[in-house]
Amino acid sequence: MLRFVLRRCALVVPSLLGLLVITFLLIHAVPSDPAAAMAGDAATPEQIARLRVQYGLDQPMWRQFIVYLDKVAHFDFGESAFSRRPVALDIIQRLPATLELTFASLLLSIAIGVPLGVIAGLKHNDWPDYVLRIFSVTGIAVAAFWVAIMLQLLFAMNLEWLPLRGYLPATLPRPPKVTGFLLLDSVISGRWDALGEGLRHLVLPAVTLSLGGLATIVRFTRSGVIDTLQNDFVFYERAMGYRRRRLIWIYVLRNSVTATVTQIGLLFGGLIAGGVVVESIFDWPGIGSYTVQAILTGDKQVMLAVTLLVGAIYAGVNILVDVAHGLLDPRLMETR
Amino acid sequence: MTTKRFYLGRRQAGGLALGALAAGALPSFANAADSSTFITAAGLPINLDPHQVYDVPMQGVMLNAYDNLYRYENDPPQIVPWLAASHTVSDDGLIWEFKLKPGIKFHDGSAMTAEDVVYSFRRVLALALAPAGAFLKILKPENVTAVDPLTVRFKLETAYAPFFAAIPGICIVNPRAIEPNVKGNDWGKSWLASNGAGSGAYRIVPAGYRPLEYLDMEIFEGHFMGWNDNPNPVKKIAFRPAKESSTRLLALLNGSVDCTDGNMPADQVDQIKASKIAVVQKDIVMKTFVIRMNNTKPPFDNINARKAFAHAFNYMGFINDILGGYATRDPYPMPENLWGIPKDAKGYDYDLKKAKEYVDKAVAEGAPMKRAFELHVQSENEQSVQGAQLFQSDLAQIGINLKVVGSIWSTLTTAAAKPDTTPDLWVHWVSTYFVDPENWVGQMYDSQFHGTWKASSYYKNPEVDALLRKARTSVKQEERDPLYQDAIRKIMADSPDIWIYNSMQLQGFNKRVQGRRFCTVGQGAEVRWITLSS
Repeated sequence: MLRFVLRRCALVVPSLLGLLVITFLLIHAVPSDPAAAMAGDAATPEQIARLRVQYGLDQPMWRQFIVYLDKVAHFDFGESAFSRRPVALDIIQRLPATLELTFASLLLSIAIGVPLGVIAGLKHNDWPDYVLRIFSVTGIAVAAFWVAIMLQLLFAMNLEWLPLRGYLPATLPRPPKVTGFLLLDSVISGRWDALGEGLRHLVLPAVTLSLGGLATIVRFTRSGVIDTLQNDFVFYERAMGYRRRRLIWIYVLRNSVTATVTQIGLLFGGLIAGGVVVESIFDWPGIGSYTVQAILTGDKQVMLAVTLLVGAIYAGVNILVDVAHGLLDPRLMETR
Repeated sequence: MTTKRFYLGRRQAGGLALGALAAGALPSFANAADSSTFITAAGLPINLDPHQVYDVPMQGVMLNAYDNLYRYENDPPQIVPWLAASHTVSDDGLIWEFKLKPGIKFHDGSAMTAEDVVYSFRRVLALALAPAGAFLKILKPENVTAVDPLTVRFKLETAYAPFFAAIPGICIVNPRAIEPNVKGNDWGKSWLASNGAGSGAYRIVPAGYRPLEYLDMEIFEGHFMGWNDNPNPVKKIAFRPAKESSTRLLALLNGSVDCTDGNMPADQVDQIKASKIAVVQKDIVMKTFVIRMNNTKPPFDNINARKAFAHAFNYMGFINDILGGYATRDPYPMPENLWGIPKDAKGYDYDLKKAKEYVDKAVAEGAPMKRAFELHVQSENEQSVQGAQLFQSDLAQIGINLKVVGSIWSTLTTAAAKPDTTPDLWVHWVSTYFVDPENWVGQMYDSQFHGTWKASSYYKNPEVDALLRKARTSVKQEERDPLYQDAIRKIMADSPDIWIYNSMQLQGFNKRVQGRRFCTVGQGAEVRWITLSS
């Protein structure tokens, strides 16, 4: 197992390097000059030229790339051209919010999606299956921004049950920073008011973000259950008088979720990248809205660092997925 | 295969129901709107250093956390003494002296002196970013000096009339707060980007800032103006930018913010009209909407071609149908409510017949009118996209093929730095950085500014250059006014761009916000006059 994990980790390095090269080339292919944007509206050409020299933007692209690579190797992701702060600091401050939202969405997707998928599989071609199929197709097809606005209108405006946007109310002091995760820090510092408000603010963005993943998980679990139910061991165990609930929720489920686990891994990365829209609509202070701002202002250092981060998370999650596959079905580990 | 009916047990059903309701039922511990906190959904600047950034979002920081020697107040804008009690200028317009009011304190309690003003201007010149734009060519750092603890002297290289108009753009910073945080020769640039070092009516809360996400300010009781003019001021300002306009509107309507930004789409105005808690403030500002034509690219080097385009834009259709009437037609190359406008000059009207005649003339002169044209717009701004689409449909009627290309501001300004990369046409606004014709015609049509986005039509007329340069060197408005009028007449006759409207700022407010004062410079971002009614 350890050798398998180490081999997968070693493959991550060239993958990330490739990602970096492609991203660097793509970002530099866009005719946007951060020096012009940095200098501001009223800047003269001389001011812009001075900044270009100051930030090495006048150098050939290959030299800029080598300088950047050297910095990244030392975990220096440069300075944001706009906030004038280290990009790593900006990301570290925002990543916990994105991870909180992603985990909450994933948790919702799994907690609801897996049982619904099992039900759909068990009720194959019966009315619950039809209803869930319609639901899952709709969940995949519907645009996140539309769902977000509908949820805002219903739960924040009409029913007034939940907050419209943000992370915490403007008038509520933040808990002391320990981990950077609002919910954890609230618990650690005993700030139950902040915990309550944090949870309330999390609900709508998490539900919005979870819908696509939930629908995917329902579909994959359903297919897995239908396939597994055809296996001999199911007939055998049923014939042996196994309790139905135990048979379904332990033996059938375990053999049905291999494909679902792969999807969950892909979803995790997708949720981080796909959170951009949800974070913008709900003003969630994560890396999604930070990235949007960087794109609009042409902040190349931020775009590169965020792409690399998302790539690294994808790679890490994929390794975890492979490990999970191995735990679910040890035969898979032997073949890899 | 038979299957046993699956059912949810009471425990599972109860668990699910509880889970679904729990978050919504959690008690809310905080009231979004307390009586002393002003919550704004307007945007934040890209960083907090007023010597690095100079744009509309920055006004919220500049006017609240910092002070200036003079400041623009009221509507229409008047330049009034602020930190300075008075000023004098020599007859040749080269020596300017400003006398500071005594007893002014920074947020750290230290006294403000003329040396601090000198430091501030030298820092602006050394950083050479946007706020320095008006000063770099006419002011050397060593020529800003302290005559005595309360007197600052500026010796200009050449007489420059807009110097005084640009003075309110410079914030006075506290060197004692900045100097300990200087790295190398960066003038504390990195530190001040996330901190405050001012004397303004509100101070930046150090832990209350995350770039582009939130910013907290608290009242500075020791502000030099005192608080007698507003006995119930806002105690805390919470900047909580809403990135999406729909979220911004909903936040205003549910009372969780006190104001939106000033760019409310016209269709949202009607939604607010029905609200019991919100109103829309409509203020005429000095912010013009322009379609630039690249005068160096054929056929835009042909005056008849440019006039054809100018007559093909449906000005009033755009203003009335797309903007809901919330703008005023401005046929001049600067706001019509500014001095220096020749009221006898006639602008271009929407007339497709005339436009077609000019097309034919241009074709007869060999202009390539049949080629496809590109109009670049700021994709994130719906209004510029809609205006472009309207233009596209009208041009199609006179046989002109226009392609609308989406872009972003930083890409457009980069492209506009050179004539060969500047698009055929592109759309933007010109805001008020200082109230002087120099801000508009001076910097847009004097050929010495070619290479800046404002001058990206690359228009060149030696007579206009001469008039604008002469107008810049006189300090008397009565001498400058006719020079600008002459220059504008010539510019309008040459039709280098398409001037469409002067903006109306539409900003949503909670009805509890009282006492707001509006000035087009800063666009009403100054909070010190505001009271929150219960």
